[in-house]
Amino acid sequence: MTALTEQIALTRSGTSTRSRKGPSKGLDALFRAASYGSALLVLVVLAGILGSILYGGWPAFREFGFGFLTSSAWNIGTEQYGALVAVTGTLASALLALVIGVPISLGIAIYLTQLCPGWARKPVGMTIELLAAVPSIIYGMWGLFIFAPFFARFVQMPVSNVVEGLPIVGTLLYARVPSGVGVLTAGIILAIMIVPFVASIARDMLDQIPTILRESAYGIGCTTWEVVRHVLLPQASVSIIGAIMLGLGRALGETMAVTFVVGNANRLSASVFDPGSTIASRIANEFNEADGLQLNSLMALGCILFAITFVVLIIARFLTRRVKVA
Amino acid sequence: MNAAPAISASQFDGRNPADEHAPIRIAARELNFYYGQFHSLKNINLDFHDRQVTALIGPSGCGKSTLLRTFNRIYSLYPEQRAEGQVLLDGQNVLDANVDLNELRSRIGMVFQKPTPFPMSIYDNVAFGLRLYEKLPKSELDGRVESALRKAALWDEVKDKLKQSGMGLSGGQQQRLCIARTVAQSPEVILFDEPTSALDPISTGRIEELIEQLRSEFTIVIVTHNMQQAARISQFTAFMYLGEVIEVGPTNRIFMNPTVRQTQDYITGRFG
Repeated sequence: MTALTEQIALTRSGTSTRSRKGPSKGLDALFRAASYGSALLVLVVLAGILGSILYGGWPAFREFGFGFLTSSAWNIGTEQYGALVAVTGTLASALLALVIGVPISLGIAIYLTQLCPGWARKPVGMTIELLAAVPSIIYGMWGLFIFAPFFARFVQMPVSNVVEGLPIVGTLLYARVPSGVGVLTAGIILAIMIVPFVASIARDMLDQIPTILRESAYGIGCTTWEVVRHVLLPQASVSIIGAIMLGLGRALGETMAVTFVVGNANRLSASVFDPGSTIASRIANEFNEADGLQLNSLMALGCILFAITFVVLIIARFLTRRVKVA
Repeated sequence: MNAAPAISASQFDGRNPADEHAPIRIAARELNFYYGQFHSLKNINLDFHDRQVTALIGPSGCGKSTLLRTFNRIYSLYPEQRAEGQVLLDGQNVLDANVDLNELRSRIGMVFQKPTPFPMSIYDNVAFGLRLYEKLPKSELDGRVESALRKAALWDEVKDKLKQSGMGLSGGQQQRLCIARTVAQSPEVILFDEPTSALDPISTGRIEELIEQLRSEFTIVIVTHNMQQAARISQFTAFMYLGEVIEVGPTNRIFMNPTVRQTQDYITGRFG
């Protein structure tokens, strides 16, 4: 009985070692090829997208040349198209989002890492990350139906009444039609949308700072504000800038929520209360019915947006990576 | 497992002997410390003499760093940690709820296990602590920074690059920068928590010399794993074990004639 078992065991192990070599080599090659292919596919798709929007946008670039960037026209009847209003709206709404969202994000990150009692850290942190899970269409609907009327009534109208006729602020903060939608509304909605990203990355960066550095700062008698302002934030500054750039990248490309609340007007206005357009909202609004030069111009807008977000993301990656190594 | 004393009598030759009549700067009275439920310091009663170096030695986890961290109440950054009893600084209990922690920490400086330069220039690393408490004109500030860097034996190495980042210095230089930063505030007491554990032997030697010099101005408490170091630089030594002070006295007596068996076992390398 024992001998038999031993023999079986021997045979099994014998065959298994022998049979292992042949097919596994082939499988391994297949596996390598498959994962290589998956990685390559991303590059192919990216190149394909870039190529096709460049190809689609080329007629517009050829027709208007450099003037496409500096013209504020968008006239379907006369076939005159320019990117200036959309580019300005994109940059303005994204910058407003940063101005509003970054201080809040940093406040959250500082609270979570420095002041929050241990038991509350997980739930509060998770709630903030949940904000990132809200679909952008929900932000858009909420922004248009609930936030915009509220904003028109309690912010745009009273502020416009106060600043009317004043220099500078009278232009910047005057709503000709206090409808609630506009570039600032888009900026506020975008700010809410980028807060979870910027806050959670900033929190991780502050968490990575060695406890001992924080203790030394408290050890020379700093207050919490002094520790954060002079030691922790400078220590994490480069990576926090990276986190802000990631937020900026998101704000620049956000489409659905912005389309709802930006107002979709092709007008260059100095007031942040006035409706405007962003590249993404312009494309979303017009793509369906566009053809000919209008379609080419939308494609060209897409190229410009692609270039802007690409540069921002590259800077963000570069900044966040550099710190992790150091 | 060597039964011979790790420290020989010759090491104490020509050194400043302990001044047992020096006034008491810090005193722990009935001090107990808890990490949550864990009782980590048990009824500590210990005196620290003015302008003497007192070394706290003992195996890992014996509570020596914890004791040090009660003196400037740095432990209070962590809500689950608490101390009961008294720590008297010049007779005033620093554990009182109404003590101004920022002011306390400017009177009791601390140097940590690893160098912790702040992300700013060498000059600002030293000036930062000064600016927190005093509005000084630029020239006076310059003078105070220079004198702190001189006391930390760092001035000659950094005087031409004061505007450069403190992060660019070597480990030993960074630790001396941290000492300069502490010294600049003119504290009464300086706490050293294993200040050389991350440094090479040469840098360690320089820090030890420095502590020896600083003794003329400051009361010093140093936690160290290295018994040779305790023997070299301290006037008093306290041996701690499992949260209690087992034996305390002038360093040469503790190392040459320990009266308690556990102390003897520890300094001869039988455990720890």
